[in-house]
Amino acid sequence: MSALKRVQQWATFARIWHIYNAAWQNPFHSSELIKKYLMGMHKPIYHPMNDCGDHVIVINSADIALPGDEWKKRVYFHHTGYPGGATWTLAWNLHEKDPTMIIKKAVYNSMDGNLQRRYTMQRLHIFPDENVPKELLGNVSNEIRQLRPMPKRLDDYPEKDVKEFPKVIDYPKDYVLR
Amino acid sequence: MTTLFKIATNNYIKSVFNQAQRNISITSTLHLKKINEIQEGKDLVIYGEIVSSEREPYLLKSNHSKACPLCATGLDIKHTDVLILSQFVRKDGCMLPRRITGLCKTQQKRVTYLVAMAQKSGLMPNLTPAYSNKDPKKRYEWKKYNKYFDETTIPFKL
Repeated sequence: MSALKRVQQWATFARIWHIYNAAWQNPFHSSELIKKYLMGMHKPIYHPMNDCGDHVIVINSADIALPGDEWKKRVYFHHTGYPGGATWTLAWNLHEKDPTMIIKKAVYNSMDGNLQRRYTMQRLHIFPDENVPKELLGNVSNEIRQLRPMPKRLDDYPEKDVKEFPKVIDYPKDYVLR
Repeated sequence: MTTLFKIATNNYIKSVFNQAQRNISITSTLHLKKINEIQEGKDLVIYGEIVSSEREPYLLKSNHSKACPLCATGLDIKHTDVLILSQFVRKDGCMLPRRITGLCKTQQKRVTYLVAMAQKSGLMPNLTPAYSNKDPKKRYEWKKYNKYFDETTIPFKL
């Protein structure tokens, strides 16, 4: 058994810790990705009855991005069980109350409702920013690749780069700069 | 009578158009101009200035004779390409009209959509009106959260 195969063997049977940066990511597309690591579906030994799931740390969950106007169109429903106990909360309202809730619900809803789901969710650690406790961060050995590239703001580019970027158009000769 | 009228109108037209209308000038009348405002104590000094374009050395050369500048590049522009989109807006983030951008109709409409998308995502916060608070995180209610857009939703297809 080669060294690589041996490490692969260890990694398969141990609980690996993954980290995922959720900044500018769609939580509902990300949840399909995170779910696979949480349940261990990326391992060749996967079986629903085989408890081989990994841990996933999600950071920057406050900076998730939703497409278009989904922040005010997506609604979270809750019913207390009493008459008139129904409430509908908009996604941006829920995100304001708890910036980890949207991604947590997205991962929870992406999995089948069976007895394992609650225990699988215990292996998901979500943080609204980059401040992760050191004892958790020390376990991390893999970073899950982001689904969409993080956009860069215009004021984050150095002024020289903006000025010297190739220009598509020039101003007409009689133009008054504003 | 009609001949008399004709002569009179001819004379009138001549009198209007015979005025010395010089289309030739020794120096160039067309320059890129810039208006500066300087507050000196109580006085506000406004003065115009002839400037040379900062973009000229970095202008893309195109071999196309007919295509508009953006079509000639053959780029598929996304709303996150702020370095390109910022070339089509004024300092306050207002889109330049077509007579100034010189784009074709489709590209002008597409760029207008893309600029709006970039602004709603808060990717060009330094190109905003003076009354704007500049920070996308301080926007009202749902507008303060990150959002992205799908370019296929733009009704103007290339």
